[in-house]
Amino acid sequence: MKFRYERLPNGLEIVAEVTDSALSTSVGFFVKTGSRDESDAEWGLSHFLEHMVFKGTAELSADEINRRFDGMGASANAFTSEEDTAYHAAVLPDQQDEATALLARMMRPALRDDDFATEKLVILEEIRMYDDQPPFGADDRCRATFFGRHPLARSVLGTVESIQALPVEAMRDYHRRRYSPSNIILAATGAVDFQGLVESARRWCGDWEPLAVPERRVAGGPRPGGNASTLEIVHRPASTLEYAVRMSAGPAGDDDDRFAAKLLSAILGDTSGSRLYWDLVDTGEVEQASCHHQDFLDAGMFATQVACDAEDVTDVLARIEEVYRKAADEGIDEPELEHNRNKLAGRWVLLGERPRRRLFDVGPEWAHSGSYRSVADDLRTIENLSVDDVRRVLSRWPLHGTAATVLAGPRPQDPSVNGVSAAQ
Amino acid sequence: MKQSLFSTTLDNGIVLLGEDLPGLESVAIAFHTPAGAIHDGPGRCGLATLSGEMMLRGAGGRSSRQIVEKLEGSGVQWAQSVSTSHASFAGAMVAKQLAVALPIYADILRRPDLPDDELEPARQMVLQNLAGTEDDPAHRVMSTLRQLHYPHPWGMPSEGITVDVEGIGLDSVREFVAANVRPQGTIIAVAGRIDWDDVVRRIETLFGDWTIGGGATVTAGNRGPRSRHVPHDSQQTHIALAWSVPPYRRDESYEASAALSVLGGGSSSRLFSEVRERRGLCYSVSAGYHTLRDAATAVCYSGTSAARAQETLDVMLAEIQRLPGTIEPAELDLVKARAKSALVMQQESSAARAGWIAKQWYHLGSVRSLAEELARYDSLTVASVEAWLAANPPTGLTVVSLGREPLEVPDEVSV
Repeated sequence: MKFRYERLPNGLEIVAEVTDSALSTSVGFFVKTGSRDESDAEWGLSHFLEHMVFKGTAELSADEINRRFDGMGASANAFTSEEDTAYHAAVLPDQQDEATALLARMMRPALRDDDFATEKLVILEEIRMYDDQPPFGADDRCRATFFGRHPLARSVLGTVESIQALPVEAMRDYHRRRYSPSNIILAATGAVDFQGLVESARRWCGDWEPLAVPERRVAGGPRPGGNASTLEIVHRPASTLEYAVRMSAGPAGDDDDRFAAKLLSAILGDTSGSRLYWDLVDTGEVEQASCHHQDFLDAGMFATQVACDAEDVTDVLARIEEVYRKAADEGIDEPELEHNRNKLAGRWVLLGERPRRRLFDVGPEWAHSGSYRSVADDLRTIENLSVDDVRRVLSRWPLHGTAATVLAGPRPQDPSVNGVSAAQ
Repeated sequence: MKQSLFSTTLDNGIVLLGEDLPGLESVAIAFHTPAGAIHDGPGRCGLATLSGEMMLRGAGGRSSRQIVEKLEGSGVQWAQSVSTSHASFAGAMVAKQLAVALPIYADILRRPDLPDDELEPARQMVLQNLAGTEDDPAHRVMSTLRQLHYPHPWGMPSEGITVDVEGIGLDSVREFVAANVRPQGTIIAVAGRIDWDDVVRRIETLFGDWTIGGGATVTAGNRGPRSRHVPHDSQQTHIALAWSVPPYRRDESYEASAALSVLGGGSSSRLFSEVRERRGLCYSVSAGYHTLRDAATAVCYSGTSAARAQETLDVMLAEIQRLPGTIEPAELDLVKARAKSALVMQQESSAARAGWIAKQWYHLGSVRSLAEELARYDSLTVASVEAWLAANPPTGLTVVSLGREPLEVPDEVSV
C-alpha cells in the first residue's frame, strides 16, 4: 500500500492510496463545500447542486452520463454533508481513465434552467421522504439548536421553503465560487495507475480557473452547545415509537482526543456490546439506544439516538444520563478498554480492505486536514490509547449534563417545554 | 480469473463451502441453518426470529454477554438474522481469529441454553423491532407486497406479527429449535484468507457428531388479493408492484433479471430515466429481482408525494407494459457491464463472497465459478431476452400502496 500525491498548478490536489493487489479502483472528486458554506439564502444549495452535476455539461446530457457510468460497470454516486460534497465511482481498473474523465467533466456542469426546475421537484421529494422517516426531523432540529449561530446548524437538505425559493442564478454563482480547483481533491484508492490519474487530471482539470476560497473554520465565533440544556418536542401523532436525539460537545476534527472519543462512544453506546446496549437494548426496553462521536473542522459532538415507547422516553433519557455520569465518575477499566480496542481494530481492518470504502476515509481526511492516514496508522493510534486518555476525554467533554435534546413522536407536547408542531 | 472454490459434505449432511481470497487479511463465515420463518406455524408468526434471538442468549456455558464479549473482544463483527428459509449466524474477522470464533458458533447452534429468564427480554426486543418497522413506510409497503404475492407462508414477515409474538411460549421456542436447527440442510460458508484443510478439520471436530434429525415440510397455501391500500399518515405515497418470474435455479432467470435490469436496474434504466430524470416525479424508483428457491418475483418500488402518486403508478405500469419487444442491444450491453463489474468487485469482500457461495448452494446445489457466472451473462442476447419476455410477459401484477389516499389500480395489468 503506497500513498501518492501531486498538485496541479491551478491548485487541484491529487491523492491516492495504491494497493496493487486490489481488483478495483475507486475514484472521487471531493469538493470542500457543504451546508456550512451556504448563506441563509443558499440553504440546501450544496446538495441540490450535487444532483444537478448529474444533469450534464454543455456537451454531455444526463442520459449520456448515466449510460456511460452503467457502460463502465461503475458503481457511481455522490453525497453531500455539512462539510463535503463528493462524487465517486468504483470501477474495474481498466476503466480508471474513463471514470476519472467523466467525473472531471461533470465538475463543470451546464446548470440548465429546465433541468433545474425538474430536479427541484426531485429534491422536494427527497425532503418529504426523510420527513416521513424516523427520527422525523429530530436530528436536524437538534443540530440546529446545538449549533445555534454556528454555520454547522444548517441541515444539508434545506427545507421545502428554502428549496422552492432558490433561483438558478444562485446555484451558478455558488458553483463558480466553491468549485475552484484549489477547493477540490481528486482522490483514488485500490489498483490505481497514479501516473494515469495525474495525466487525466491535467487533461480534464488543468484549465479550471482558480479562485481564492475563504477560510471555513469559525475562529472565536459562536461555539456549539451553549451553557444550558434544552428540550424540544416535535409532535408526530402517527408515529409508533418516540425518537430522541441528544447532542453534547466533543472533540473537533483537529483535536488529538478525537480517537479516544470514538473509543469512548463505542464503550458507551455502540449498537451492540456497549453499556447502553446491555442496559437498554438487550433488555428489550428500547428499540435503539446508541451514541457516536462526530467531528467537524472546528467542532465535535457526541450524538445519542433513542427509539422507544413514548411513555418510557423520559425515564430512558434519565437512565442514559446516569450511564454517562457513572462513566465520568468511575472511568473505565482496562479489560473493557481492551475489548473495545480489539472491536474497533477488527472493524477497521475489514473496512480497510475494500477500496471503495477506503476512498471515504482517504478523500475527506485530506480535504479536512491535508494529511494521509493509513489503516496501519489508525490501528497504531487505537492500540496506544489508555484508560487515562479516555478519562481525559470524559473530563474535558462530559456526556452528562449540558445537552440539546429533541423528541419526535406520539408523545403529547408538554407545555413546560419548548414544543413545536410537525412541519407538514 | 483464478478462483479457489471448495466444498465438502459431512456425514450428517452439513454442507461446508469455502473460497480462498488470498488478497484479503480477513475471513468471513456464515452458518445458515434451515430454521427460517416458513416454519413459524399458524398463529406464531415471528417464532423463528424469537428463537434466533434466544439462541444468542446463553450457549455452551457462556451467558449472552460472555458470548458477545468473546466475539467482539476478538475483533469479530457478528450478525444474526432470520429469513424466510434460514436462521443465519455470521462473523467477519482477521483470519487468525477464526479459531476463536468457531467454537462459539458451534455452541450457539448445538448447545443453546434457551433459558426461561431470557424469554421476556428477547420477546420485548423482537416487539421493539416490530414497532420500529411500523414507522418505516418503505419497509411496510414491501412487506405487504410479499405477503400478498407469495403463496402462504412464503410471504409472511420473518420479523413477526405483534399479536403472535406476544403469545409465544418457551416450549414453542425449544420445540422450534430442536426441530429446525439441525445438520441436514445446514450450509456453512467460509471465504477470505482460509486454509481449507484446517477449516474442514475444525468443522468436523465441532460439528461432525451432530446428529439431530427431523425437519418439517411446508405446503404452499393461498396467495393474497391482487391489490391493497394501506392507510398511513405520511406525506409520500409508497407504491410497490410484483409479478412472478422464474427462480434463480432456473436457467431463464438470467433473461428475467436482465429484463428487469433494463427496466429499473441502474441510473440509465427506463424507470429511473422516465419517472425521475424526465418527469421529476420521485427521489427513489427501481425494479429488482427477488428470489426464493421455488418462486421469484419482479419487484418495482417508488415513493412520491400523494398528489403525484397516481401519475407515478401510471408511468411505472406503462414502462412495464412497453418492455416486451423494445429492448435495445445497447441496453443489454449496459446490463452485462454492470453485472460483470459487480461480480468481480464482490471478491474484495469476504462477507459478500461467503454470502454468495452459500446462496448459490441453497439455490443450485452447487457453486458456479465466477467464469461460469460471467459466461452466462455474456451469452445473453436481445433475442434470448425478448423470447423469454414474449413467452412470459409481465402479467398478474400485485399492487400495494401506502399513504393517505388509495390509488386507482387497473383490474388486470397485462400486455
